[in-house]
Amino acid sequence: MSMNAKRHVRLSLAWLTLLIFWAGGRVSAQVTPDRVERVAEVLEELIETYGVSGDEERVRDVVVRQLPEWAEPEIDDVGNLWVRAGQGDPVVVFIAHLDEVGFQITEILADGTAQLRTRGGFYPNLWEATPALIHTGAGPVPAIFMPRDTVADPPTRRPPDGFRLSAGTATRAATEALGIRVGDTVSNPKEFVRLGATRATARSFDDRAGSTAQLLAVQALDLDALDHEVIFIWSVQEEAGLVGAGVAADALGFTPARVHAIDTFVSSAAPIDRQNFAYAPLGSGPVARGVDSSSVTPRAVLDAFLELAEGHALPLQVGATNGGTDGTPFRDWGVPHMPFGWPLRYSHSPVELIDLEDVVVLVDLIKLVAEEW
Amino acid sequence: MVQITNFLHLHQFVGDLDCRTGASGSGILGVPKPIMVSVNRTFFRRALAVAAYLVVAASVSAQTTPEFADRFVAMTAVTGYEQRMAETLVDWLPFADRDRAGNVVAVIGSGSPVRLAVCPMDERGYIVGRILDDGFLTLRRVGGGGPLFDQGLEGHRVAVWTDGGPVPGVVSIPSTHLGRGRASQPDRPFDVDDAIIDVGADSAADVAALGVRVLDAVALAKRAHRYGESLLAGPEAGRRAGCAALARAASTVASGEVLGTVVIAFVVESYLRHSGLRVVARTHGPFSATWLIDYEVPDRALGEDFGGVERSRLPVRFEATPVETVDLVDADALSDRLIAWAGTQP
Repeated sequence: MSMNAKRHVRLSLAWLTLLIFWAGGRVSAQVTPDRVERVAEVLEELIETYGVSGDEERVRDVVVRQLPEWAEPEIDDVGNLWVRAGQGDPVVVFIAHLDEVGFQITEILADGTAQLRTRGGFYPNLWEATPALIHTGAGPVPAIFMPRDTVADPPTRRPPDGFRLSAGTATRAATEALGIRVGDTVSNPKEFVRLGATRATARSFDDRAGSTAQLLAVQALDLDALDHEVIFIWSVQEEAGLVGAGVAADALGFTPARVHAIDTFVSSAAPIDRQNFAYAPLGSGPVARGVDSSSVTPRAVLDAFLELAEGHALPLQVGATNGGTDGTPFRDWGVPHMPFGWPLRYSHSPVELIDLEDVVVLVDLIKLVAEEW
Repeated sequence: MVQITNFLHLHQFVGDLDCRTGASGSGILGVPKPIMVSVNRTFFRRALAVAAYLVVAASVSAQTTPEFADRFVAMTAVTGYEQRMAETLVDWLPFADRDRAGNVVAVIGSGSPVRLAVCPMDERGYIVGRILDDGFLTLRRVGGGGPLFDQGLEGHRVAVWTDGGPVPGVVSIPSTHLGRGRASQPDRPFDVDDAIIDVGADSAADVAALGVRVLDAVALAKRAHRYGESLLAGPEAGRRAGCAALARAASTVASGEVLGTVVIAFVVESYLRHSGLRVVARTHGPFSATWLIDYEVPDRALGEDFGGVERSRLPVRFEATPVETVDLVDADALSDRLIAWAGTQP
């Protein structure tokens, strides 16, 4: 089936689905099947492009390629991508990150296997005994994350001594002959898969969904409506300690009036998680992140944001979750931070799960904030 | 080659979620059926159909063991739920038939001796145990499994095999971020009773709309993963590569000379009660010799009907894990041995 035919089938199914859900009054008027498909199209390409922290160039290239003609992309020393629009105060910054969690090779052993370190925080045991891709200078090389050498009695969930990587070679020289080097990043193969009516699963929605929403908002931006400067940044190495955001924050200093990190709202709306907080159901709209592990948004800023969204009939949830975002380094310059994103289940796992409709509304919300706040 | 392209494309399109060839609504192996309106053109229609059949059959028989192995490893056939794989095998091996147990059996040659080469189709897996009101699913295991077998599910994608085809889902995992600052997970292995499947539904009605029902088979989403020079990884890769060796041997000897009668069988329910194997023996036995490929069955369960029994198992690494690894050079060598055995050795 051709890509066009596949798209046509998906679009038809999406229309049918949305008609059903409209009957129940579930989605907002802004969400149409073709917009859901457009989000899915951009997201699929970004998801299936690899960019473990420190190795984001490929992802950045995809974003650059889809920028509108008016945009003049700039890449700073650390690798962040900047796009500026409008002029004058107040300067408002949006920042989404390009990178994803994964691994990096730290040593190639005599038996050809490789030792790894993690890039970002996650449960490494989810990668044990799974297919792997090594992102070498010459392209991806397939491999596997090896199962543990021995099974303890009683067996444990986490491999007691971690695990290594095998490219199917038996010597260091054979591994290096495949182009594999210390420092290469490693991930598992990724695939964007639609679930149910409007949902999708993949690894690295965090923060490809944010990058997608920001990109689509830039594409839709009405430059004539801008009476101040807005800076859109796609950052690097967020998962490795907000490295790119730190560079951007220092470059801008006291200039920004506000910063908006466009990133995952890790939701507890799944039976596997405790639901004491972070309860933001999927499909109910984006989420304003009032409190997280490294930022508290002033109540007045939060209320102004909620009022703006309500005034434009955009569904917006509000809550507290865990983790930090790229807005955090801007706080050290006194910049008010109002992060927002979309609800996500199963964070930093191979099966992160989102509702595409939430991302559609997120696009509108970014555009609204850029043009009117 | 157009047919081959179509065949490969269809199978790759459905990818890791579908073991069928995508032939529904089409001719053999997905070749579109010719549409002709005149009764007088029946001959041409038949000729075209036969030609298409021959081209595809010849092309399938020309597949190498590694090509067969890639396809076998990507297929799903939970014990007792082998029907789709059986349908695909019959498409691939048009000289074979399905029997009343669901086995795929080819009888090649005639007369004595009557020998059997057999490989099990099935795999350990799961079925939908319950559909919860909030749209999530829970599982029951089928076919057993080792102490870390279930752990391969946690945080990974699965396929629910409905009547309408595979429905993707994921096995829930606590969000990494939400675990911070809280008591850590217990360090006991993930168990099937921990599995909560998310198919993107919010209610039992949503699940029903997807066609998912209690008792549908569930297995990890699969894709053949090649690495190294000739390695293939996947769940039950050793067994599936063994079946690939047998399939390639079957497609080779089917058009040549064999000694006496050679029965080639891909059987069901090896992880249950070996009923598939028993049906083959009752239908086509007794055998003077039997070659069991990656089939663990006690001698006492075989009885007298199987004659002299030879057992083969391809060497594997990382056995019984989602990346069980087999060297396709070994699989090809096994296939060559099977061809020689069928053709010359009593």
